[in-house]
Amino acid sequence: MKITALLVMKVSPDGSDPVILANASDVSHFGYFQRSSVKEFVVFVGRTVAKRTPPSQRQSVQHEEYKVHSYNSNGLCAVGFMDDHYPVRSAFSLLNKVLDEYNKSFGDSWRTAQADSTQPWPYLNEALAKFQDPAEADKLLKIQRELDETKIILHKTIDSVLARGEKLDSLVEKSSDLSAASQMFYKQAKKTNQCCTIL
Amino acid sequence: MSENAHSDAKALDLLNELENILESDPLIDEVGFVHPSQFATLKEVAGCAVSSQDVSDHESTNFWIRDHKLGISTQVLLPLYKAAKHAFMAALREYKTSGNLPGKSGDDTLESEVMTHSKALLMLSCDFGTAWNSRKFIVLKKELMPIFMNELLLSALVLSYAPKSERAWSHSFDLKATTSVTKCMKVVTCLVYISHKAVGYQHNFWKMFNSAMDNRERIRASGKNSRGLNSGDEMRSKMNYRAWNHRCWLVSYMTREQVLHQLEKSRNWASLHVADSSCFHYRRRLMLRIYEDFYHTQADHSSGYNFKIYNIWKEELDWNEALIGRYVGREALWLHRRFLSSYWIRHIATDLHSVSCQFEHESSIDIDVGSFIDHELHLLDSCSTIPDDDFEDFQAQAIHSATYILWLTKQIPKSHRIDLQEKLRARDLKRLLNMACPERSSLWNCLVDLNASKIQPSCERIKS
Repeated sequence: MKITALLVMKVSPDGSDPVILANASDVSHFGYFQRSSVKEFVVFVGRTVAKRTPPSQRQSVQHEEYKVHSYNSNGLCAVGFMDDHYPVRSAFSLLNKVLDEYNKSFGDSWRTAQADSTQPWPYLNEALAKFQDPAEADKLLKIQRELDETKIILHKTIDSVLARGEKLDSLVEKSSDLSAASQMFYKQAKKTNQCCTIL
Repeated sequence: MSENAHSDAKALDLLNELENILESDPLIDEVGFVHPSQFATLKEVAGCAVSSQDVSDHESTNFWIRDHKLGISTQVLLPLYKAAKHAFMAALREYKTSGNLPGKSGDDTLESEVMTHSKALLMLSCDFGTAWNSRKFIVLKKELMPIFMNELLLSALVLSYAPKSERAWSHSFDLKATTSVTKCMKVVTCLVYISHKAVGYQHNFWKMFNSAMDNRERIRASGKNSRGLNSGDEMRSKMNYRAWNHRCWLVSYMTREQVLHQLEKSRNWASLHVADSSCFHYRRRLMLRIYEDFYHTQADHSSGYNFKIYNIWKEELDWNEALIGRYVGREALWLHRRFLSSYWIRHIATDLHSVSCQFEHESSIDIDVGSFIDHELHLLDSCSTIPDDDFEDFQAQAIHSATYILWLTKQIPKSHRIDLQEKLRARDLKRLLNMACPERSSLWNCLVDLNASKIQPSCERIKS
């Protein structure tokens, strides 16, 4: 599995929590009893990273054996959870494509969104399946020239995205995205130093 | 005191409940430890998917069983484990003492007790050696096919929650090692399935295993086992060294068709998981097996098989190059290339050269080492540009390609070395390496200079 999840979010400049506009994930490669927690972590980490991606910036966050790629295009932000070795440029050309498609389908309606959308967006699920093979995303790369010019910022840990004084542990504790079960998984994984078992 | 007794009794009830579940549903294919708060969500999810008649008797909040998935509440894990361990140890002790007595009548119940308790225990603790060993002891005494099958299933089940458990892998290994040859093939067939599945996280295993059983019947009927490796699973888990190791070991039991089929099948997975060197290692094992087959069977020393090997290698080299272009800076790909080139230069090209007269009409065949080296130099050139960004993949690519070429100079025949050396001097490898990774400059200087100095004297001699 190369891409675990793709999300589209509205990021407000006032620093409030991003609103999820679309969310597609494939957790079939996780154990049956872990899947719900993995989904929660995708939402939690996605929101955390998107919130800290300034407008018109591209950044990648290394988290265990995953890279979370995030591109904020003037408040509309696409986030992808890819395997570490998914080529970075392919990942961002895919995020570009997702935002283009979103704009095409929904226009500016996202600007007024207040609450997380639970409506599935079929295109995102199709993209999730289609672009598992980075060879497909390579084709996009050839069309999108401008991508080469912007520098992509790399964070080697999720902590380096957080503002000074922020701690992942306390964010996990406060987050309403994570259930008690997921919190337990997080603590357990941290204790045994095997976070990778739960994203 | 009475409180202790009370909690002991409760733990024993839990153990009974677990053992009943394990017995009532022999098709359980996944075990997981579940937070108590998850039971509600699990019920919700299953509630809409499963019809109400299937609502199981186990409405407790300690276990969850549906769709052959067994969830055990994390709240009861500790008392349950203690009870299971206690029951197992007691049963084992009794079984061992009775083993010294004549008269086998009582044995069966004791045996089944050991089997039941050890199974429950292994559900809770995957690496409990004594439990695995006692099972092995009992099972090997019986030498019955269905029992072996059950043991394979148990190892598969344990692997579902602990995919890297050493014990579970070696349990299936031991079973195979002690069975007779005919039985062996059947067990191997199943093992292939298990390793497939573990590499693929145990999801479709039951479907696959059932078809394996069907296949087994068919195999028996047709006297062949070529269908044994046929399955539609995907290999989903990553970096599972043991699972891949297990498969590598199975290679020596495969038929030629199976080897070719596996080579074809693992390609797609490998191209999506280039960070996992294990899969490439598996491919190397398969390719070597093909090559050995060719080498040892004199009857096959025909140009046809030669040509086939040439094609396999050529295809792998081209595919590897495409992946190197797509996934920048992945060491596993370059290591795989080293294997391919070294065999190409030492064996494939030379073997073919000896029969090359038969190939003259085949214009697509190019076995000239010189043009192979030129091609590799071209690859080096395409990997030498380093853009300015935070990601270190292009740097890694430049280093991998440069060290690959340095390595290659040692592998090629002497006659080509001087030529390659000249071409490398024009490219200034030292500068490239130092730019990509300045921290190791002394290593680079040493490597490149050493390489050059070995050739230099002979160059001079030729010139004078």
